[in-house]
Amino acid sequence: MNLPDMIYKWFDDRFKISELLPPIVKHPAPEKVTSNPLYCLGGTAFLCFLILAGSGIFLAFYYKPTPEEAYKSVEHIMTAVPMGSLIRSIHHWTANLMIAAVSLHMIRVYFMGAYKNPRELNWVVGVLLFLVATTFGFSGYLLPWDQLAFWATKIGTGIAGSIPVMGPYISLILLGGTDITADTMTRFYAIHVLILPAAIIVLLGVHFMMVRIQGISGRL
Amino acid sequence: MALIEVEKEGKDMAGTQEKQPVRVRGFPFYPHFLLREVVVMCIVIGSILMLSSLFPAGLLKPADPFDTPSPIFPEWYYLYVFGFLKFWTFDVGPIPAKIIGVTLPMVVWYGLLIMVPFIDRNPSTELKDRKFAVGMGIVVLLGILYFTYYSIVNH
Ligand code: HEM
Repeated sequence: MNLPDMIYKWFDDRFKISELLPPIVKHPAPEKVTSNPLYCLGGTAFLCFLILAGSGIFLAFYYKPTPEEAYKSVEHIMTAVPMGSLIRSIHHWTANLMIAAVSLHMIRVYFMGAYKNPRELNWVVGVLLFLVATTFGFSGYLLPWDQLAFWATKIGTGIAGSIPVMGPYISLILLGGTDITADTMTRFYAIHVLILPAAIIVLLGVHFMMVRIQGISGRL
Repeated sequence: MALIEVEKEGKDMAGTQEKQPVRVRGFPFYPHFLLREVVVMCIVIGSILMLSSLFPAGLLKPADPFDTPSPIFPEWYYLYVFGFLKFWTFDVGPIPAKIIGVTLPMVVWYGLLIMVPFIDRNPSTELKDRKFAVGMGIVVLLGILYFTYYSIVNH
């Protein structure tokens, strides 16, 4: 027996892969799903998420979330770190592409009526995913601490703050005070690299499980 | 091509409760479906690499809390909120214009969006049987495009 076979057998003895794999590998993808590119949009959004996680971890090695250091550390990434400029640009473009893919995915689900019985809750999870994805963008926008980052966040938190009843609380939680300060930066950073990644992983898990259990809806 | 046919419960006809199996023509996940996924992945990754090398992410002057730049733009997918806020200048009864300007494109909009499956009780998934839902979808899309445009020309 050669080495790959021995490794396969070692795992098969313990985990019965030979029983687990066929249902996954042979699981049929309906013909219309394989041929219609509109069904690629969800998968494209997921691929974007994976690329964002990878490039984001790279950026986190060099980025410093304080008003004094943030701008300089981004400048350092762009000019001195090997491949830094490329990887920051990849993070930037992939983020925009992910929002585009998620939006188009939602539009396709809407017009195909794929949210109907039995998939109502997967639409709800989807809207939460959409909110998480756009909030990723909002929190990431401040981090380079340049003029646009600061002022767009100022206006954005101002708008969120003027929502009736909840506004003042949202504003206080986001800003950590009444203005954009070092506290705001650490909060936005924590939201961007801890809270939202945890949220999106849970939501994606639920989303994919429901797709797997319910199958893809059968129009066309 | 190894086209396979499988028996499936009738659950993929949205809304209809029929339980007799329907026949679905399909390809096995491996290798056919996976191959398509790999092709799409290559296109997506290729586009990202091309955009990133041709148009690197920018960095403006460092933030200065005492110098307001103009124009200030948020990410493109928030532009319609800015646009709507600028567009809506009418008080409605006792409700000030600004409250409507922030509540409608955020709270009301996301509230309605999340309720879509519970508002639209029509079981059909055919475009021609869903004139109201399809019409609403088109109106909302055009609205978002219009307010995005509005925020760019009226910054
Ligand atoms: C991070 C964002 C998201 C990812 C990665 C994602 C991924 C996916 C994938 C891979 C599928 C399988 C079919 C396909 O690709 O078209 C799917 C199906 C689905 N998604 Fe998403 N999705 C996301 C966001 C959303 C949003 C924003 C909505 C709607 C508000 C949504 C609603 C649905 C529904 C209802 C299905 C079942 C569709 C059917 O059976 O035809 N998803 N999603």
